[in-house]
Amino acid sequence: MWLPILFLVIGLSLGLLTDLQIPAAYSDYLSIAVLAAFDTLLGGIRAHLERKFDEVVFITGFFFNVALAALLAFLGVQLGVDLYLAAVFAFGVRLFQNIAIIRRIIIDQNLLVKLRKK
Amino acid sequence: MSHLKKLSKWMVSFICLFIGFMVAVQFQTTTAEPEVRDTRDEWEIREALQQEQEKQQELLQKISSADKTLEDYEEQSSEEQLATLKQSIDSLEQRLGLTEVKGKGIEVQVSPIIFEGVSNAQTYPELSPELLTRMINDLNTYGASEIAIGNERLTNLSPIRNVNGSTYVNNRPLPSLPLTIQVLSEEPQKLKDYMEASQSRDVFNIESLEIDVEVKEELKVPKYDAPLHLEILEETGE
Repeated sequence: MWLPILFLVIGLSLGLLTDLQIPAAYSDYLSIAVLAAFDTLLGGIRAHLERKFDEVVFITGFFFNVALAALLAFLGVQLGVDLYLAAVFAFGVRLFQNIAIIRRIIIDQNLLVKLRKK
Repeated sequence: MSHLKKLSKWMVSFICLFIGFMVAVQFQTTTAEPEVRDTRDEWEIREALQQEQEKQQELLQKISSADKTLEDYEEQSSEEQLATLKQSIDSLEQRLGLTEVKGKGIEVQVSPIIFEGVSNAQTYPELSPELLTRMINDLNTYGASEIAIGNERLTNLSPIRNVNGSTYVNNRPLPSLPLTIQVLSEEPQKLKDYMEASQSRDVFNIESLEIDVEVKEELKVPKYDAPLHLEILEETGE
């Protein structure tokens, strides 16, 4: 449970310390990749809470989503259509849904714990 | 089974690391300001340094004069304080252009060139705001201290505008040509020579206008008498 969070913090500090910057032309790709990564992460947490977590699905989902989002953005640039907005929309909606479900599960669990105490 | 579980845990952690890294890079990319490169050479840096030093010097002088005024206030009795205050107001008014100023300077006569032999009807030339601004810039560059156009004293806030086709200075229309511009200067002869050779003369000639410059030992520049609008002024913080 704590290991992923620890690694998240390590990754954050690593990225901040390396002072790495992406050229402005590619920042769209990175932003959409970050969005996809968030989506996958929240989806994983939700699946974990629903006790349906499958690491194969999680890992492939992560790489596939990131790659697909970047590909979509690339395609959009080539076609002159802002296709990456579609990805932003899809991932954004799913992010909210996942967060809502996680919240509900946590509330349910807390209620159950309280009821049991009574 | 437990071996696989452990492996997957590490994989998830690794992906978290990846996500963290991406987020950090994205954060840095979006917050980073575009790098402004210092491409000045040694000489330019030296010049900049000198400018800053001059500015510092100027500020120090200002501070010391303000200190002196303060000291004066503290040392003097209330009557003398009043006198000092009045003196400050007078000097400020003088600097603003609210007082009449006498001194040596030049008189610039702007008159139209009319070709008499040409039969087709000519329009009477006019002094446009652009031309006037250009000439005033020239005058200021070459060392004018006070300027009056016709009867209008120029202050730092004086607008020169085109209103309904005629040129307005200080929100009043200029009389038609010929027009006299009075300029006070420490070195009138130098200013005259500069104006004789300046580019604005050519530009005026293109617009069928002629400039005559005369050095005057005794010139009187009228005061600025319209109300000052200072609401939008703010301290620069220097």
